[in-house]
Amino acid sequence: MIDHVLHAAVLMTTPVLLAALGGLVNRIAGLVNIGLDSMMLAGALVGLIVAAYTGSWMVALAAAAVAGGVLGLLMSLAITRLNANEIIVGLGFTIAVAGLVRFFLKSAYGSSGTLSLPDVAPLPRITIPVAADIPVVGAVLSGHDPLTWVAWLMVPLTAWFLARTRIGLRLRAAGGAPQAARALGLDPLALRDASTVFAGLMAGLGGAYLSIGVVGIFNEGITAGRGFIALAAFYFGNNGPWPTALCALLFGLFDALQIRLQGHGVPTEIVQTLPYVMVVVVLTAMAHAVRRRRAKGG
Amino acid sequence: MTSAASPSSGLWQPAAAMAAPFLAALAMAGVLLAVAGHNPFDVYGLLAVESFGNIKRITATLAAATPLILTGLAIAVAFRAGVFNVGIEGCVYVGGLTAAFVGFTATALPAAVLLPFSLAAGLVAGSLWMLIPGVLKARLGVDEVVTTLMFNFIAISLAAYLVNGPLLAPGSANSATPMVADTARLPRLAPPSTLNAGFLIAIALLVLYGLWGRHTALGLETRLAGLNARFAAAAGFNVPLLVIKMMLLSGAIGGLAGAVHALGNVGRFVTGFSPGYGFTGIAVALLGRNSAVGIFLAAVFFGALATAGATIQLFSDVPIEIVSVVQGMVMIFAVAQFGWPRLRRRFAS
Amino acid sequence: MAGPSAPAARLEARGIGRRFGAVIANDSIDMRIERGTVHAIVGGNGAGKSTLMRILHGMDRPDAGTVLVDGTPTSFSGPAAAFAQGIGMVHQEFMLVPGLTLLENLVLAHEPTDRFGRIDVAAAQDAGHALARQAGVSLDWSMMIEDAPIHVRQILEILRLLYRGADALILDEPTAVLAPAQVKDLIALLRKLRDDGCTVVFVSHKLDEILAVADTVTVLRSGKVVATKPVAQTTKAMLAEMMIGQVLTNPTARPSTPGKPVLEVARVTARDGRGHVRVRDLSMTVHAGEIVGIAGVAGNGQDEIAAAVTGLGAIDAGTIRIAGRDATHQPLSGRRPLGLSYLSPDRAGEGLCLEASIAENTIASRHRRSAFCRHGVLKRSAIRRHVESLLDRYGVRRASAHLPVASLSGGNQQRVAVARELDGGPSVLVACQPTRGVDIRGIAFIHQCLLDFRDRGGAVLLLSEELDEVIALSDRILVLYGGRITGEVTRGSSGIDEIGSLMLGGGQSP
Repeated sequence: MIDHVLHAAVLMTTPVLLAALGGLVNRIAGLVNIGLDSMMLAGALVGLIVAAYTGSWMVALAAAAVAGGVLGLLMSLAITRLNANEIIVGLGFTIAVAGLVRFFLKSAYGSSGTLSLPDVAPLPRITIPVAADIPVVGAVLSGHDPLTWVAWLMVPLTAWFLARTRIGLRLRAAGGAPQAARALGLDPLALRDASTVFAGLMAGLGGAYLSIGVVGIFNEGITAGRGFIALAAFYFGNNGPWPTALCALLFGLFDALQIRLQGHGVPTEIVQTLPYVMVVVVLTAMAHAVRRRRAKGG
Repeated sequence: MTSAASPSSGLWQPAAAMAAPFLAALAMAGVLLAVAGHNPFDVYGLLAVESFGNIKRITATLAAATPLILTGLAIAVAFRAGVFNVGIEGCVYVGGLTAAFVGFTATALPAAVLLPFSLAAGLVAGSLWMLIPGVLKARLGVDEVVTTLMFNFIAISLAAYLVNGPLLAPGSANSATPMVADTARLPRLAPPSTLNAGFLIAIALLVLYGLWGRHTALGLETRLAGLNARFAAAAGFNVPLLVIKMMLLSGAIGGLAGAVHALGNVGRFVTGFSPGYGFTGIAVALLGRNSAVGIFLAAVFFGALATAGATIQLFSDVPIEIVSVVQGMVMIFAVAQFGWPRLRRRFAS
Repeated sequence: MAGPSAPAARLEARGIGRRFGAVIANDSIDMRIERGTVHAIVGGNGAGKSTLMRILHGMDRPDAGTVLVDGTPTSFSGPAAAFAQGIGMVHQEFMLVPGLTLLENLVLAHEPTDRFGRIDVAAAQDAGHALARQAGVSLDWSMMIEDAPIHVRQILEILRLLYRGADALILDEPTAVLAPAQVKDLIALLRKLRDDGCTVVFVSHKLDEILAVADTVTVLRSGKVVATKPVAQTTKAMLAEMMIGQVLTNPTARPSTPGKPVLEVARVTARDGRGHVRVRDLSMTVHAGEIVGIAGVAGNGQDEIAAAVTGLGAIDAGTIRIAGRDATHQPLSGRRPLGLSYLSPDRAGEGLCLEASIAENTIASRHRRSAFCRHGVLKRSAIRRHVESLLDRYGVRRASAHLPVASLSGGNQQRVAVARELDGGPSVLVACQPTRGVDIRGIAFIHQCLLDFRDRGGAVLLLSEELDEVIALSDRILVLYGGRITGEVTRGSSGIDEIGSLMLGGGQSP
């Protein structure tokens, strides 16, 4: 039982983690991405279709990432170049892309909301020899697909990228003090656009993970609001890749437990609210801390 | 005293500002339709006929516009105070569930009392749902956009829990409460159309809102505080209290939207209760630019899209989802090119 | 002026003129800034210092005249062009990025990297240490900007200019944010940089500092150069006189007949938004029928006094009484009913709601009085009549009171604000910069309004950067320096002459 839950938890963490890391970089560069969920949805659909037609999961992932990235670019341009409010544009993308996906399914496949294709190339599973046989450790480490490994590898990589590279430093400057960045000759808007494209790529991968990594079919509710859970994760993680990852893992664990506990009298819907409640609590605590620091004259 | 539109700009300017994002979205959707092999002009012609072609269609459109008038109004009230409330979807759920609960439990109440009582219960529930985000915003400066967005998801999950557990109708498998008492239902205005007394409530509130904005001290204070909070504070208005009041009022109207939907259309509370009324309301308020007339027109536009979309699907092979595409794009275009200066400023700094 | 045979100045202004509308900010300014010197520019508010600095580093272009760099006439297309000539500026608002370390802020946009885009941390650290050594300071380069004290941030701004290759530094009132000990360190740093061959332009109105650090000083007044002199040949008194000019008294104002105390400020200590104490243990009283003016150079606590008296800002200690009632813990919304009125210094951001109509701006704050409102419903026709008569009385020229107040000229906008704040019988008016950006006729009108209000028994606390205005209107003048009252002068007394030097810290040591 515990092995199953842990294995499922790692499984459910991956899509949220991917999207959350993208959203985190995006937010650090100064844009709160409310449209992550729509980019996941697009990635999920494109990933499945390409996986079915090419038979290659790698091409499918690349296509899903591109789909998410294109959406990210469009969204970013609306915000940075047309001065549109990021929240409204994000919600607008969520609504429009959901409609677009269903419109496409009906127009192209005549199906309402669900798409099941033959010959979908699923993500392969990597069994780690020795470790697989150890209880708990095996469940956590073995039997996962490459994307899960990539997602976790991206955590230190993102931390390193932001801290140690030229682009990372400039992204932080674009988000932290755009005026100062501009005064120093940087282009904060372009940097912000780049970060949104990255968020789109990551969310697209997260979406593809859901369709070709987990269930093997697509339906319109496949993301189940995971783009917003990702938002909760990087808010809760307070822009740190590791805290964000831990938070994504926590949410993955909730997810896994909830599936397990269904029919056992535990109200799973209550468990579902936890990520969102946590965000409100964190924001409140942070605002409170800021107020106290100001009162002390720091 | 003057309302939002100054006389010099005339009528065409707000009208153009309202129509432009709508036309832009229709154009984009038209491209999509063309790509999918439909003639967009035929589709839009059919949409127009199906939404305004005869009395029956018009009543259907108005019925579909009813919850949108209310959610648009709820959001406009908060926007007017400079508060970016995106949490009305949650209020619709909370208000709808509460109204339905009263409607099927307090059936012993006399008919004349039960309906108003159920509506009031939904209204109060919606209002209280916005208390925490309102207080957090006013007292601690916590970003209301994120908190209200999160409160939506919390409301939806909580309602799902209640409707699957404690409030599940006996013998029902499909996540719904029992039906409310007949005396708790909003009377229909033109049977068999679903247009009901909720529409009259919505119109009455819209008129009240228009009068409130022009003729009351609170309406004036809200507008000035929304335009310039520092000015309002220097003029001696209690801005934090104003923010809390407007959040409560916004939530109350959102809760009423849910109550009207539950007691007028659905007759109970079910999962997936609202097809995004709270989010469409954002588009309605943006497109209607906070004016009573604008909100009415925008709500009717979206109501027309929703009803006509459902019926043209029967006559042609155009998927109804084109409506969502238009709606989402309207939201984007409404803030992209014709965004209010205030909204732009919000994230410019 | 140096003769034609002198070596080219590092930076030179020749006949620079710049006007904004009717305001002449710079009027044919000639100034040579020699290489390897610290050149101070002093002047009161509105003397034209900021405009000149903006022109010298390419933020603004002159209407007339030329800027010469190393003797070559140059027209900067922007700050980047000036920077390419080695001219950089430290603004009063620092251009630093929170969330980044000192080192990251230093190298930002000019990062030493390898060919994979990785930041070469060792190279950055070496550069940082070398700069710090050169400047004779020691910095914890791994500290986050938000944790760094203000003087460290300022040093970093200077070092960053050096890191990026500037050798001519323009510093805009660099000591305004510093404590006295830090001022000493900054002066030492600037001297060291000068000795290393840098050119420093130092804008200030603190005479002690100028005498301590500068080689040459240029005094500006009303957009013109009063004099450029070697510091060795000047004294504080000379500079003060050149800065302030001839002080005028206003003979037309009748003597006041002060009544009961209306505004009592007792032992108030207050901080600015950054948390620095700006007002220390300050007490003062304004009586009915009297105008009390605060004379002081900007940044000596005026903003915090206004915030404390109006309730728009919190105070750390002390009490505020209005019309005999304790108002210490009241917000502004609780003080207005006690008879407080407030004319904001920031007309566009706080004094008026620009998008709202003239009428709304005129009535706001009194719209709930019983004459205009019953049970929360506005009496629109009563309001319209009242607003129209008020606007007529204050001479607001308008097409319609329904137009946005933004459609009015600055002078008429201020008349709307004054009309609102004096209407309805307030007992005390806090008037901050009452004539900022107002035309001459408007200034005279507003001055008369304040005097009339006083004669009707009103109390006025006048906070203005225009010393002439303070002297002309005030029955009593309190001199503010470093958050404390350092002197008091009554109308017509002989002390008027001393105000200038008191304002500049001449009286008591700060």
